[in-house]
Amino acid sequence: MIVLSRCDGLEGVDGTVEVLPVGDRPSEPDGFRDFVEARSNALLRSGWLLTGDWPSAEDLVQTALAAAWPRWDSLIRQDAPELYVRKIMVNTYLRWRRRRWNGEVATGRLPELQAYGDVFAQVDARQALIAALDRLPPRQRAVVVLRYFADQTESQTAAAMGCSVGTVKAHASKALARLRNAPGLAELMAGGVAS
Amino acid sequence: MNTEEQQLAEMLHRVAPEPPRRVTVEDVAFRLADQAGRSGRRHREPRARRGGWSWGWGWAPVLAAASVFVVAGASAAVVDVVTSHHAPSSSGSVINPTSPPASTHSATATQRPSSTGQPSWPPQRVANGMWGAELITHDTFNQDSLTSGNGSLYAISEDYLDRIDPATGNVVDNVRASTAVTNSPIITGNTVWLVSSYAGHSVVLDGYDGKTLARVASVTVPVSEQVSTTSSGVLTTGSGGYLYVAAGRSVVVLNPSTRHVVKQISVPAGPVGSVAVSPDGSKLYVSVGAVELLTYSLATDEQLGSSAMTDITSSAGNLVATTGGVWGTAGVGMSEWTWFAPDADLTRVVRIGTGAGGGLVSAPAVSGGTVWVGGSHTLECASPATGQVLRSVTIPTDGGVVEYFGSATVTGGRTYALYLDNRSQQAGVVTLAPPAACAG
Repeated sequence: MIVLSRCDGLEGVDGTVEVLPVGDRPSEPDGFRDFVEARSNALLRSGWLLTGDWPSAEDLVQTALAAAWPRWDSLIRQDAPELYVRKIMVNTYLRWRRRRWNGEVATGRLPELQAYGDVFAQVDARQALIAALDRLPPRQRAVVVLRYFADQTESQTAAAMGCSVGTVKAHASKALARLRNAPGLAELMAGGVAS
Repeated sequence: MNTEEQQLAEMLHRVAPEPPRRVTVEDVAFRLADQAGRSGRRHREPRARRGGWSWGWGWAPVLAAASVFVVAGASAAVVDVVTSHHAPSSSGSVINPTSPPASTHSATATQRPSSTGQPSWPPQRVANGMWGAELITHDTFNQDSLTSGNGSLYAISEDYLDRIDPATGNVVDNVRASTAVTNSPIITGNTVWLVSSYAGHSVVLDGYDGKTLARVASVTVPVSEQVSTTSSGVLTTGSGGYLYVAAGRSVVVLNPSTRHVVKQISVPAGPVGSVAVSPDGSKLYVSVGAVELLTYSLATDEQLGSSAMTDITSSAGNLVATTGGVWGTAGVGMSEWTWFAPDADLTRVVRIGTGAGGGLVSAPAVSGGTVWVGGSHTLECASPATGQVLRSVTIPTDGGVVEYFGSATVTGGRTYALYLDNRSQQAGVVTLAPPAACAG
């Protein structure tokens, strides 16, 4: 269904404030390092799709992992550390989008893209993709990233965003409608430039 | 996923580049230490407020004095309650639901629309003039969100509740309003109700003045266990003017005038995905799971019957009840379709309409004595007594791209619907001139 509802991911992790003693660096939880090493790549790519630039993506992933650290044992017991981390990423991303006046402003993307030495076609493809994603409202963008890049189910996406499956479907359909008409994206979706 | 979704997923994986560097545990540890230092000096705590967020710098001397810091900086989602009653379950003191609240009545469609000026846009013929379709607004509204009452049209655009003048199509008022689930605005008396929170144990309804759209109420609904995660159509009203809310393994009946819980009907088979009330106000219909339709007596709260649709593996939603039975939607993924169950018997269910593609919906709507079923293939009017399709018209495509009609509603003798043309990016409210056979 098309949109919409709030679906702003503010359920769950918001309102949960972890308080730790100052000066105490919490000990590294078991399995945390393995998770970071195994999943940081995928999380960063999700962050890039959400924010459009690597510094913000790193900030997003670090923020989420820092929030997950103190409750890691509990997350492991629930067998849902990645779901939680993605939930915080979405929450944080949506909050950043709200507080534009105070948020870090992403710098131009072109120099960063060029820094990878990609061929022009790849740069064009990425720019077209980010430009298309930039045209989406934040929640639709989050649904696209969670559902179609992170391969989350509709239920998992709904859980991460604190809304119903119907709302996720609605956001997804509206996002698809917008992306369908985004310049250059139809060619990409049809199998254009490979990275 | 359909083909388009698969193409999008494949493209995202293909185009999203590899990161220049990985995040390490040391990065995270540094972040934690840095947060500790900063939070020990100054704590910035966002303050949440419904309908938007306000942020500001603030000192947290208590926290600082206690030498603590916030690791997971997060906001306490404080509900800004205008008129809130945290009513406990009152199943022990049941009030006869057939006695309507004094100052409420069901939404009616009998008032003439009052013009508030000239149209901002001249009516524009769309969809080859199908059923005389003319676009009168150029605003994108949420699917299934158009409704009418008190001589106005109401629709939800993302994060806004709009009041639309039926005569001109102009949006004459709007207010920032959050909606948590797909549910058209529900009108009782002069109040327009939206579901502003619907997740876990939290269900909140916000009420807006039907004329000014000022928020006049915010009601927290008691939830039995947790709400369904596959809900659609969780709020409705009945002939008694009460509000009926799917609330986990229960349905809560609210008096919209007093904002008090009248009773909470237990649905052990829940959680409830959708609710509907029979036109005479005697029966409550709920959908649970995939897919069971339960019938309850609103006089005794007893379950009267149940039936299941065994060949459907997805949840049913968007229930509406008419004299002949219950209507709803079912379907998997992006393709939903509308069904009609005579006498609420899912074993005799019949499919109505041909559904919608491209992620669009074809939820049933009852207005003007007729059931309307839209979508991207056909727009149909059907008999509320028999489920028989009275008239159907094929929705054209725009260069092969679907056009969409849905959420039809009748007010002041005119029929309105939401319209979308994905190719031309035209969207808004259309007026329709359906055949006389569609008149209820």
